[in-house]
Order: sequence, then C-alpha cells, then structure tokens
Amino acid sequence: MIISDADSPDCRAERLLRAAEFIAAKLAELPRVAIILGSGLGSLVDYIEDAVAIDYADIPFWQQTHAAGHSGQLVFGWFDAQPVIAMAGRFHRYEGYSTDQITFPVRVLAAIGSHTLIVSNAAGAVNPKFSVGDIVVIHDHIDWMHGKPSLRFDYGIYPPQSRSDAPLRGVSPYDPILCEKALETARLKNFSAYPGTYLATMGPNYETRAEYRMMRKLGADVVGMSTVPEVLQAQRIGMRVLALSMVSNIAKPDAPIRGSHAEVLNVGQVAEPRLRAIVREAVQASTTG
Amino acid sequence: MLDLYDKIQESVAAIRNAWDNVPRAGIILGTGLGGLVDEIDIDASLDYPEIPHFPTSTATGHRGRLVCGRLKGVPVMAMEGRFHMYEGYPLKQITLPVRVMRAIGAELLVVSNACGGLNPYFQCGDIMVIEDQINLMGDNPLIGINDDRLGPRFPDMCEPYCQRLVDQALEIARRESIRAHKGVFVAVAGPNLETRAEYRFLRLIGADVVGMSTVPEVIVAVHCGMKVVGFSVVTDMCLADALKPANVEEIIAVANQAEPKLRTLVRETIADFATLRLA
Repeated sequence: MIISDADSPDCRAERLLRAAEFIAAKLAELPRVAIILGSGLGSLVDYIEDAVAIDYADIPFWQQTHAAGHSGQLVFGWFDAQPVIAMAGRFHRYEGYSTDQITFPVRVLAAIGSHTLIVSNAAGAVNPKFSVGDIVVIHDHIDWMHGKPSLRFDYGIYPPQSRSDAPLRGVSPYDPILCEKALETARLKNFSAYPGTYLATMGPNYETRAEYRMMRKLGADVVGMSTVPEVLQAQRIGMRVLALSMVSNIAKPDAPIRGSHAEVLNVGQVAEPRLRAIVREAVQASTTG
Repeated sequence: MLDLYDKIQESVAAIRNAWDNVPRAGIILGTGLGGLVDEIDIDASLDYPEIPHFPTSTATGHRGRLVCGRLKGVPVMAMEGRFHMYEGYPLKQITLPVRVMRAIGAELLVVSNACGGLNPYFQCGDIMVIEDQINLMGDNPLIGINDDRLGPRFPDMCEPYCQRLVDQALEIARRESIRAHKGVFVAVAGPNLETRAEYRFLRLIGADVVGMSTVPEVIVAVHCGMKVVGFSVVTDMCLADALKPANVEEIIAVANQAEPKLRTLVRETIADFATLRLA
C-alpha cells in the first residue's frame, strides 16, 4: 500500500497501525515495559533473555539511525522474568529528524501495550556536585529542543492499559513512584544517584563555557541532546515514565576540558551495571505495582 | 547533508577560477562594517550571484560580494555582506561560505558584527573582542547526517574563539588606544529587537552583547577546524531600565563611525597571525 498524504490523521494512524501490527506479530507476549537505550548503554540488551531482535530497517515506517554507538534494533525478551521491549538505537534532533519522527517509536510501543517507558541517556553535568559515572534520576526537564511532539495520538490496536487523560499543566511527566524506587535502588546497591533536572538541547556541538554557565544559572543539573521528545510523547499518551542520565562528563566552564564521544561510550561501561540495577527494579515496580 | 561537500567544491572552483592565491584568513564583515575592504589590495572581486550556492545578501548595510586580495600583504578573502537567519536562509546555507573559505585554505576566520551592549560598562562605539558565545537562535547549522569529511559529529566548543588571539587583539587595542573589552556574545534569531524583559534575561544568563549573526558561522568554523577571532561593535546600548527605541539608521551610523577601529584591529590581528605561528 502506498500512503501518500503524509499529514492526514488517517495516514498517521495507518502508519502506526502497520508498524505496530508488524512488531506484535513477531512477539510471544506483549511487553508492558519499553526501554530506550542511549549512548553507551546498549549492552543492557545482553541481559534480555530469549531475545527476539527486529531490525529497524524491516519495520514499516520506522526510521534508521546514524549515531555512533547505536545499532538500530528493537529487542524483545524477558528481563527479570518480565516481558520488555528495548530500543537499541534512538533518534535525535541533531540527525535531522523531526520531533514526530523521533517520537513515532514511542507511539508504536504504546500501541502494542507498553504502559511504562524507561529512557536512558548520557549527559554532561552542569551541577558541580556530580561525578562521572553518577546516575541522575530525572525529576524534571527544561526543553530547548524547539519542537513539540504532535498532540494527536492514534491509539492503534492495543491501547495501553494504564492510559489516562493526563493533565499537562504543572504535572511532571516523570513518575514519582518510579523515581523514588530508582533512588532507593541506588542506596541499596551503594552507588550515587541524584534527583535532577535535565536540559535538552538540539546539539550537535557540545556547549560553550558561556552556555554551561547559563544552564547552571537556569537550574539545570545535566545537559543532553535527547530524551525530552520521547518523554513528552509518553506523557501525552499516559505512559508512566522513568528517565535516567548517566553522567558522562562534568562541565567545568572555569577549567575547560575537551569532550569526546568516545569518552561517553567508555563511561557507559562503568555506569551500565548501575543503570541495569535501577531498570530491573523499575520493571518489577511497574509490572507488579 | 552529504551533497554539501560537492556544493563546497563547486563554489571553490568558481573562486579559484578568478583568484589562484591561498588565503590565510577569511573575513566576514558585519552590518555597516564593510569599509575594511578599502584596505585590501584587491586581486579579484566576485558578486555573490557569480558564486554557485552562495545566497544573495538582502540585509541593510550589506553589499554582497566576496573580495579576494591581500591585507597588509597577507592573502585574505573577505565577505562584504553576510547572511542572516532572519532573512529566511537555512543555517546550512548561511554558513556555506565559511566551509568554502576553509576548503580554499584559510586557517583563520575573522568575524565581525554590530551588536547591542548589555554590559552596562560598555559604551556605544566600543569594540568587544568575543571571548565566548551563547546560541539562542533555536537552530544549529550542523543538524542532519554528519559528513565526516567536513568535521566531527559532536564538535567540542570549550574554546570556540582562540584565547591567544583574543589576548593578541586586546593587546593591539591597547597599543592603538582603542576602547576594547572582552566578553560573551549571545545570538538570537531576530529580526525584532529584544524586549526589556528579554534584555534582562540575556544579561542574567551571562551575555555582554547581543546580535543576530556570527554564532552559526563560528560553530561551522569550529566544526571544520578553523581558528576564530571575533569582534563586536557596540552600536547601541540595551540597558533594560534605561531603554530608548532603536533606530536602524543610527545603529548603522555608529557602526560606520566605529569602523576604522575595527579595521585596525582586524588588519593587525591578521598580520600578527600570519607572522606568529600559532600552535
């Protein structure tokens, strides 16, 4: 079928339905939890049992990824005995994707039954109290992406079970119970995790010293180039959201050091077990609680 | 994005056709600051429409030609007239000339602009050597698939303006008795000037001057590995609590008045750059 009128709601619904049907047909069970894996955190998929991988290239209307360290697969399987689906490889504004393209996977994963979204990313800390490898449990964000996800949602074939008409004003998209659970996990496992505010920029250049100073003044704790579009979309369609940053570098505007993407991938190996522990608890909390 | 490389080659070929020297520096002249070209021994001059993929300059006080020649003996390329986001051009197109300058061989980019002063210690007509920048344009010239032939995916911005050249320029200013400061330039998309509340906000976030250009060109210059030095001419003071309506004619008049100072700073900075091998 050729879908020509790209902007018509019917076609949006049609694209969503086609992608959702394609994915659902390959799965033994419908996952309740969807996970988006950010830079350097892709190895979480190795802990998903009986994994079924679906290449992005095969899914109708799904975009391809370009970023280093992202492979571009949807991985379904059991994580701690719960069915989950993970996006290994995500889409960024700096790659040239529109907000609608970035958030399309969230709509599709909600349509196949996921009611919780766990998002991870690598971020630079502007809060000087943080250290490399720390986990930040995102409690709020500042959106400097200059693009809002579409307000329309096509419910598709499998409406999410916990969907509600979430009030959008003054309500944090980040689930307070999952946030608490994440901080508790860090205490129990004895590693540093802090609640914080994530500031999303379009990128792709790293920030200047003047920009870091500005962001600190505005109340940001960490800065990155992702996450917010997906989170806003998930909130819009009533998903519970947990978003985690691993601190990949500390922005010290008064003693600058050069940032590099290879460094970000390296820190991922340290932070990854921590992140996995939090995700494990969050998956349990959101499927049982 | 990947066709950008070919576009650059085509623009380069057109310029090479008219001028076969290798420039040490590329210069972008801001609003009302075009007078510097009088100091250049011109070998070739190309109107923008003669260069493939160059947009046409529509802004007030911008002429629209590329001047190739020698400034105090140093081969340079100067853009008399630049492109702005508020004219409706995509940032990729605005910044194409920077990539062309780099591809032809320029190691240094000299940017200049007319700007509004936010730092209350500045005065109309002062020069600010740009020490750092804040991008509030809501856009970025590097968005899209990265072409690794042109530069890295995630350029580091910890020193977009060469600190040694900043110090050098300030020293020249002292020597020539020019009132000059160093500070942070914030870029907005424009084209309206800011409200008083916006001026307070820009000052609060750490900016010393505000303008509607320069930042995209500098991001691209860093992406393609050029050293950058930047000069802002304070053409009106934007003090939120003592604000007068801006007048574009007055702004251009102040720019024209201050232009000889900028000319001296650019000429001497480039001359120093060409003699000192900067690491």
